[in-house]
Amino acid sequence: MLDTCKRTYKLRHVLSRSGTLLAWTLSAVPLVGVAELAVHIKQTTSDVVTEAQWNAARDVVKAEATDDDLILFAPFWADPLGRRAFGDTLSGIKKEARADESRFARAFEVSIRGAHRRELAQWRKVSERQVGPFTIGVYENPAKKKILADVLDEVGPERMTVTRVDASGTETPCGWQRGVGQPGGLAVPQGPAVPGDRFVCPGGGYVGAAIVDDDEHHPHLCLFATGTGTTRIRVHNVTFGEFLAGHAGVQWMTDRSPTAERIELAFSAFDRPIGHHSHKVGSGWVSFEFSTPEFAGKRGDLVANVTSSSSASARHFCFEANTR
Amino acid sequence: MSAASPAHEKPPSAPAIASPISSLRARKNVDTLVGLGLAGGYVTWLLATARSLGFSRDEGFYFTAARDYERWFVLLLDSPRKAMERSAIDAIWQNNHEHPSLMKSLFAISHWLFFNKWKVFADESTAFRLPGMLMMGLAIYVTYIFSARHFSRRAGLVSALALGLMPRVFYHAHLACFDVPIMAMWISCVYAYWRAEGGGNRLGSTHAARGSLGWAVLAGLVFGLALETKHNAWMLPAVFVPHAVFVLGVHGRAMVQSLAKTSRIVAPASLVSMAILGPLIFLLLWPWMWNDTIARLIEYVNFHIHHEYYNIEFLGRTYFGPPSPKAYMPVMILATVPTATIVLFLIGAVDRVRILVMRVMRAASSLAGGRDRAETDVLILLALAVPLMPFLLPHTPIFGGTKHWMPAYPFLAILAGRGFDIVWSQLDACVLSRMPLHGNKARVARVSEVTAIALTFSGALAVTVHSHPFGLSTYVPFFGGTAGGADLGLNRQFWGFTTQSLDPYFQKNTKSGDTVYIMDTAWPSWARLVEEKRVPPWLRGVSSPAEATFSIVHHEQHMNEVDYNIWTEYRSSTPHTVLTHDGVPIITVYKKSPNHR
Repeated sequence: MLDTCKRTYKLRHVLSRSGTLLAWTLSAVPLVGVAELAVHIKQTTSDVVTEAQWNAARDVVKAEATDDDLILFAPFWADPLGRRAFGDTLSGIKKEARADESRFARAFEVSIRGAHRRELAQWRKVSERQVGPFTIGVYENPAKKKILADVLDEVGPERMTVTRVDASGTETPCGWQRGVGQPGGLAVPQGPAVPGDRFVCPGGGYVGAAIVDDDEHHPHLCLFATGTGTTRIRVHNVTFGEFLAGHAGVQWMTDRSPTAERIELAFSAFDRPIGHHSHKVGSGWVSFEFSTPEFAGKRGDLVANVTSSSSASARHFCFEANTR
Repeated sequence: MSAASPAHEKPPSAPAIASPISSLRARKNVDTLVGLGLAGGYVTWLLATARSLGFSRDEGFYFTAARDYERWFVLLLDSPRKAMERSAIDAIWQNNHEHPSLMKSLFAISHWLFFNKWKVFADESTAFRLPGMLMMGLAIYVTYIFSARHFSRRAGLVSALALGLMPRVFYHAHLACFDVPIMAMWISCVYAYWRAEGGGNRLGSTHAARGSLGWAVLAGLVFGLALETKHNAWMLPAVFVPHAVFVLGVHGRAMVQSLAKTSRIVAPASLVSMAILGPLIFLLLWPWMWNDTIARLIEYVNFHIHHEYYNIEFLGRTYFGPPSPKAYMPVMILATVPTATIVLFLIGAVDRVRILVMRVMRAASSLAGGRDRAETDVLILLALAVPLMPFLLPHTPIFGGTKHWMPAYPFLAILAGRGFDIVWSQLDACVLSRMPLHGNKARVARVSEVTAIALTFSGALAVTVHSHPFGLSTYVPFFGGTAGGADLGLNRQFWGFTTQSLDPYFQKNTKSGDTVYIMDTAWPSWARLVEEKRVPPWLRGVSSPAEATFSIVHHEQHMNEVDYNIWTEYRSSTPHTVLTHDGVPIITVYKKSPNHR
């Protein structure tokens, strides 16, 4: 009986206390609005990174960075602000629309809001400093790859020939054309830009350097090789190394609807096959690498055959390749 | 949780019951005045800020349609017989016939009267936009009245504030579009039905729990207008039918007894009215439907059932088709509705659901014993849930951001009003009642009440004011604000309406003969921006960066490709400027090098 009374008293006491707590909690609800106001004021004043602060961060990086250094802005949504402040000299298309980070020995990460680029996850942090709202980190690549030749540096009639290959193996040249490109209209999705400078093939299709928007909406400078059938790209006088590596992908709007279709990319040199990448639509921006020790140190033509059966995906296929 | 109870839950000795009819009328007049004051104030705010908000894609299309419809209305006055000929009807009303005509007709009439005829507005666009703004006023008014009648005047005031101080609602309320109008028609229709079913009558009123035929007819009319506003209205029966079934199930016996005594029909007159008047008004007000009616109805239904999926980013991923993420709707509500409003809503909703569940847990006889024969809580919860539920289905497109479920917001706001009543009762009990106030108690209580409301909505007000003209980029402070939304990978904007915000830049950096690639800005929207000198009139819009001196990119994840295409064409990735809101890129502008071929 005594226990029951004690239990009842305890329960009432707990209920009474929780009731009081609830009452006070409810009474404090207007403070949610006040807290909301306080956070809002901070977010719209001191948290906003100004153009002058971006420029100050640029000056700090500019004093140290070399042309070979990669500069990354974090978070990714801040990229336009970084590009505006840093300009093409420090951060141009080749760095912004890189195939990957492997060729860079060092990177500067210019970060706000505590963001960090996942591309640098495996890199070694050398230093870090605060410049206003920025955290500027310097990172070293533990697995830097030395590039001997980059196909993207060879685009043009001087160092490259392009042909269409019919079923009988007959090659028809694709002529080099310089001019204004076709960077899309008002409709979105609009597909990749058709570059102004390109090889134009008979019967449609072209080969030219432009930027692919990958399935994660990141840019990659690459060589579009469009059109159905086989397009042969011959890059002259390439210095070979131990490896031929590269990436391939299709524009996001094609890539986001995976199909069974494949686009074949076959490399050869000195009349011998090097390797073959079978690109599956929907697989994203993917890398490939072929071992070429027998060609290491030699110079010769690198031949890439791009074969596609569908004009839709072929229109959006591009690749990049380099020797290492 | 003890709290002030809604009016219909007051005990028989409550003052409202004892009040004479004149007192009730006085109260009604005060409520009408307060409601109109809130609505009028809000519309004034919208008008005052309209000039600084650019034109969305859809507005551009509706401006064009409204101009066409205006020609028909003029023809109707000048030559009615000719206007009624099929050739005249089809030639004009085929424009934008995928949406009903009510709002576009109102845009047209407003433009005709307030711009062409009476020259009330300097901008044509403001005349086009006025009906949408007035619809927001209607939504504010009905939200206030509904909440004030069901809960309290305090709750009504808080409900109206909660609705008006949502940044997304504030943005959409400016537009010559249909999303705010359907929100207004949704709550108006629910309100008319509620009144028809006896809701909102104070205890002691001679009409208590009975409603009136007038409200039933009005419910039918409003339902028809709602159908003619936007297709969301076809979901309204999913509110009314379950509600009517619930009422019948709970109060059926009493209603049958009443029928035996009075020979009155049990079937809700408002439902009958809506079933008859709704489709009738829908067809009568839409000239496009006057010819080939069946085929055109089928086309209309098919358009919306098989609507294209547009791209929209959510948590860093762009969705472009089913399945839509189930978390989209709840996360976006939490991210865009001020948190204080959400907290009040949760308090109010928990209170009403708790009471409802307690009643359901009891015997049916107890259920029937409830004083609210209109079962208002059930109605509010249904009217809140029905616009939201489709967004939990995998095949519902989510490209509209929050606008497609806005009809739920007045009811969210009403429950927030109830939540504040509870908060206030606790504040009163915990704080005010312990203060030695002597004779000033009433005055101090009133000042405290106003202060508590002001503090509660101080954040919401600041965020809403600051959001303009970037309402779609705004996320609430506890989600990190605009930058937090960008961090989370939430959509930054759509419809390309932010182009106008580049005006200061264009004024400073462009000259006669310069061209601009207008990107996501619709042609009619751009034309209106130029016409109204919202951008320099010397600028010529073009459809490709290749033709442009300046190219712009409206930042949405799936529009990154436009950025990259401009890099390819201009051989540079360096913007000339970046338009930001709270440090977050909204539009990037590129300037073509003079050396470019």
